[in-house]
Amino acid sequence: MSYAPSAAAVKKIDGIIAPYPEKSAALLPVLRVVQDELGCVPPEAETWVAAKLGIQPIRIREVLSFYTMFRRRPAGKTIIQVCRNLSCTLAGAEDIIGFLKERLHVGPDGTTPDGRITLVTVECLGHCDHSPCLQIDGIDHGPVTRDGVAALLEELRAHE
Amino acid sequence: MSEVKMVGLTIDGRTVRAAEGTNVLQAAEQAGISIPHFCYHPAFEAEGNCRLCLVEIEGLPKLDSACSTVVREGMIVRTSTAPVLEARKDVLEFLLAEHPLDCPICDKAGECKLQDYYDRHGLFPGWFLEAKEKRQKKISIGKGLLLDRERCILCTRCVRYLRKVTGTGELGVFERGVRAEVGTYDDAPIDNNYSGNLVDICPVGAITDTDFRFKTRAWFLEKRPTVCPRCSRGCAVIVESVSGYPLEEGERRVFRIRAGENPAVNGYWICDFGRAGRRDIDEGRQERVIKSASPESELSWQKALADVMARIRSVPGPERAAKVAVILNSRMTREELTLAKRLFAEGLSLDKIFFADPKPGAADGFLLTEERVPNARGVLQAGFSPRLPDLDALAASVEVLLVFGSHLLDHFSEEAVSRALAKIPSKFLFSAHTGPLDRLAEIVFPLAVSAEKSGTYINIDGLRQSFGRAAEPAPGVVSEHEILGCLAAGLGLNVGEHDVR
Ligand code: SF4
Ligand code: FES
Repeated sequence: MSYAPSAAAVKKIDGIIAPYPEKSAALLPVLRVVQDELGCVPPEAETWVAAKLGIQPIRIREVLSFYTMFRRRPAGKTIIQVCRNLSCTLAGAEDIIGFLKERLHVGPDGTTPDGRITLVTVECLGHCDHSPCLQIDGIDHGPVTRDGVAALLEELRAHE
Repeated sequence: MSEVKMVGLTIDGRTVRAAEGTNVLQAAEQAGISIPHFCYHPAFEAEGNCRLCLVEIEGLPKLDSACSTVVREGMIVRTSTAPVLEARKDVLEFLLAEHPLDCPICDKAGECKLQDYYDRHGLFPGWFLEAKEKRQKKISIGKGLLLDRERCILCTRCVRYLRKVTGTGELGVFERGVRAEVGTYDDAPIDNNYSGNLVDICPVGAITDTDFRFKTRAWFLEKRPTVCPRCSRGCAVIVESVSGYPLEEGERRVFRIRAGENPAVNGYWICDFGRAGRRDIDEGRQERVIKSASPESELSWQKALADVMARIRSVPGPERAAKVAVILNSRMTREELTLAKRLFAEGLSLDKIFFADPKPGAADGFLLTEERVPNARGVLQAGFSPRLPDLDALAASVEVLLVFGSHLLDHFSEEAVSRALAKIPSKFLFSAHTGPLDRLAEIVFPLAVSAEKSGTYINIDGLRQSFGRAAEPAPGVVSEHEILGCLAAGLGLNVGEHDVR
């Protein structure tokens, strides 16, 4: 399967690459554009980006797998990212993750069968002062408790 | 020559001068102070990821990595103070916290940097209660290479080697933190002619070679340097063999060939084709002198050589030029070639001196050359103009033929060679390996291979490289040098055997 981004995305990507003397330096922002368009960066897109930046696809895979903000597989409609880094873990993140797994019946990086919610565990979200924290579709919440998480899930359902 | 600016610094109280741009680790090494390290390799830029090379640098608040710190004038470095020793211990402890400690079944044991450094700089008791991560221990990553992710210490030497040296980039590091792992892209195997070097540079037993795996222990091997005979580059190699052990039938003598270091030729690397040369030393060898008239009888090469001399002598001197022919090859050492020149061209005044070498292969643009012989320059320097024989002409006039090596068959069909040889009354084969020519010869002499000899090769760039014996000769084999010297003595010719260089 081959992949090519939309004309608008290509234009944006070209604009991002232009100022860099070393094209591969634009890798992170370029991957963001692709992910914004596709919801993830699948293998076909790795090949396209690699060719665009003149590097091997394996370099893209390294970066995608390093950063939890990138996804290699499609996600559900809503993404819940729970921090599992030091501060949050000390403040009880494991319990929160366990609670979410139980409620959603999915493991980390799993999507509910109805395709509504993807649960992801991530490295530091930059909200250590509100640990344990999580992010729902880009919005931070914290410190969260089991009850707080239950309420957030209710709210998500209500919004459908 | 451009002036190299030297920088003066002090390492462990010793005044050291190092070229500008040198890193502290190298500068210390040049001064005879070794700083333990995993990720640093002199062939690549320092990456500074393993942290084992931490040293104290006066004026800096914390320890710094010696591999990634460039020397400065007046710098004061300390490599064995209490905080440095403590830091080394800690780094080793972190690495060992996730290491499987399967040394008893690990091929690297005995030559593993992690093992050696723990012995020298660690020696702490383990007190981790947490279970170690389970990872894949036997992943095929191509070309007989296996990756063990539990043993990997993530130094990225392998990844950088494939990016910087071969430029093929088959390996990468995926994921992060405790989940980080080395791997290929969608199982695309490592596929280049220099993959064996990965085993040499992996500091631990994470990348192993199926050709060596579980075959012996590193400490049984005797390691001796020589020059690779498989192409005209003449790379430095180390032959690792067992000697002094009675070998069982079919048991290996040479367990592996590894890259030696030679900045003028191959740096730190050798090609897989050269590495596979270990098979030439152990496999398919002629094991004894075989006389076709009495194949069962045990015959010493000296006795058998008397037959050769008798046949040469039976051709009257003036007729020898036309009736005696030899076929030599460019695998012979420079010394052997000089002897051959003096014996055949000068002593016996032969006209019919030919060469039969392996067919050229493709050069790969890095080390491997087209010529698949080590000493084509040596042939020219000895004063030969190498050419192949004309089989029909040979068959028509020659009465005694001496063939060194079995590469006639690279150029002529077996049938054509049989037909020609059938017409020659006496033919003798001197060869290290068995082959189809054997049955055509009156006597077959088992020759030593280059690892079993000492001598000199002249490489593609004209570089003269002398080497000593790298493996004990297989029982019963004889070198061309001995054959030629003995022939000369027997025929009463003075070939000045001692000044053949
Ligand atoms: S496989 Fe060996 S060379 Fe590669 S990163 Fe791991 S320890 Fe280093
Ligand atoms: S050798 Fe310096 S950090 Fe690894």
